[in-house]
Amino acid sequence: MGTETEMNGADLKPGFCPTDGEIEKWMASAFDMAKDALENREVPVGCLMVYNNQVVGKGRNEVNETKNATRHAEMVALDQVLEWCRHDDVDPQSVCMRTVLYVTVEPCIMCAAALRLLHIPVVVYGCGNERFGGCGSVLDVSAAQLPHTGTAFKCVAGYRAQEAVEMLKAFYKQENPNAPKPKARKD
Amino acid sequence: MEPQSKRRKEAESDNADSWVALPVLSDQQSQDTELIPAVAAPITDKKETSRLIKELRSLYPLTGLTHIKRVRSHKLADGLYSPQVLVCLVSDAPDVDLHSESLAIESLLPPDIVGLEGLGLPFLVKIPAFPPLTRPQFQLASKHWPTTFHEDKQVTVALRGELFGGPQKARMQGYMEAALAAARAAAGLGSGQEPVGAAMVDPKEERILAVGHDCRGGNPLHHAVMVCIDLVARGQGGGAYSFEKYPACTAAMSPTSSHSIPAAETSKTTARVVEEGQPYICTGYDLYVTREPCVMCAMALVHSRIGRVFYGTASADGALGTKYKIHAQKDLNHRFDVFEGVLSQQCKDLYGLKDPIKH
Ligand SMILES: [Zn+2]
Ligand SMILES: [Zn+2]
Repeated sequence: MGTETEMNGADLKPGFCPTDGEIEKWMASAFDMAKDALENREVPVGCLMVYNNQVVGKGRNEVNETKNATRHAEMVALDQVLEWCRHDDVDPQSVCMRTVLYVTVEPCIMCAAALRLLHIPVVVYGCGNERFGGCGSVLDVSAAQLPHTGTAFKCVAGYRAQEAVEMLKAFYKQENPNAPKPKARKD
Repeated sequence: MEPQSKRRKEAESDNADSWVALPVLSDQQSQDTELIPAVAAPITDKKETSRLIKELRSLYPLTGLTHIKRVRSHKLADGLYSPQVLVCLVSDAPDVDLHSESLAIESLLPPDIVGLEGLGLPFLVKIPAFPPLTRPQFQLASKHWPTTFHEDKQVTVALRGELFGGPQKARMQGYMEAALAAARAAAGLGSGQEPVGAAMVDPKEERILAVGHDCRGGNPLHHAVMVCIDLVARGQGGGAYSFEKYPACTAAMSPTSSHSIPAAETSKTTARVVEEGQPYICTGYDLYVTREPCVMCAMALVHSRIGRVFYGTASADGALGTKYKIHAQKDLNHRFDVFEGVLSQQCKDLYGLKDPIKH
């Protein structure tokens, strides 16, 4: 079940969706990040944004140090993409429209809306997020009819899902044994 | 709108009678009465009433409809009242032709279980499928068939627009005026800012903690609500955004910050679950925002554990009433009250300030 994937959301120009090889490569990096975080007793979520075969954003949860509950890994990574565009003096929208997010856990409702607002077309993720998921687990913001909230995006879900779940479980075990579990996304 | 009436409305801005804050209730609390078909019959001999109820209950218990009263007193054409009893749901009697001229009561009620003495000819009715949650729902439901009603008095008062008294309304108006001023400052900046403002308030101390406006010209995700949340974090020694270019975005540096966030809650070792290991920095605070937040901002308020949200006017993709009711979403771990309408006209008028150059 760890390698099962599913698609939904917006239709894209054919050819844009990442290849199996790209998914394997970039998700491997995302999982390495998550493992690293786990070893450092941080939320084990790996998240990176890839444009034109290069990483233009790489986030980890920064909620505690900023005291801002919205600083999820994806929000941090999106800010890095914008910063990268500013630095290279390129139009953020044209970059974002060709940028893929690879993340080990389904983005939450807030992050899914942020991804829409920036017109990110594809999100590849591992396991579902039963508590906050914005790509179908709680709400499906990724595919909803929201004409004033950017663009709907396509999800490739379930890649190495079981592994992502195991890491989160390991994290809960060391941090809070009573915390509820995420789900290995497969519906 | 006519400029004349617009000016008049603006002149009323210091008058707290010009607006009313109404609660944005969950779908279950605001939906129309759903009805299901049932069979009822008049009770022609009142002395038989309690026996009939008992026997009907054992035959057709109406499971899951505990809010439905078994007997109603029905007003007849001659002005007199006559009792009627609910026999069963139409779905309880699948084999009976309920649309025939005269319902064959024997086919519904086997004589060995229910004695027919005192029971008149059965007829079809519609009864409310769910218990009413608000007084308006109760009143609508009662037109069809009487139900029980466990009234939430606060919701009733809020729906009448009477939850907030005079002095409280004056304070609320002051907070929204701060948000309006920030929105106008954003409009004045041009360069892609939307005319939206927000103010975070500690209602216990009656103090504004932060005032922010939309800064999406600098970062498309810096909506007024996100800005306000970051300003509160900044006021507590955190924060992630840069406000150099936005003098109208301000945070009160709180001398009580060490009290308002227990140190333990900000320490990394208390991180609880993914995307939840966070200081609940807006716990107990009120947010005033000129227009209904989008999905991102609404969920940001859930993550920040906001106390209540007051917005001036609805927005097309709004997530606290229009497209979603994230504050009442069943599966989320934090819910909060939302009110719409504080200085609604002034908030609507902000749309007129919108930057004509769409970025
Ligand atoms: Zn998130
Ligand atoms: Zn927003």
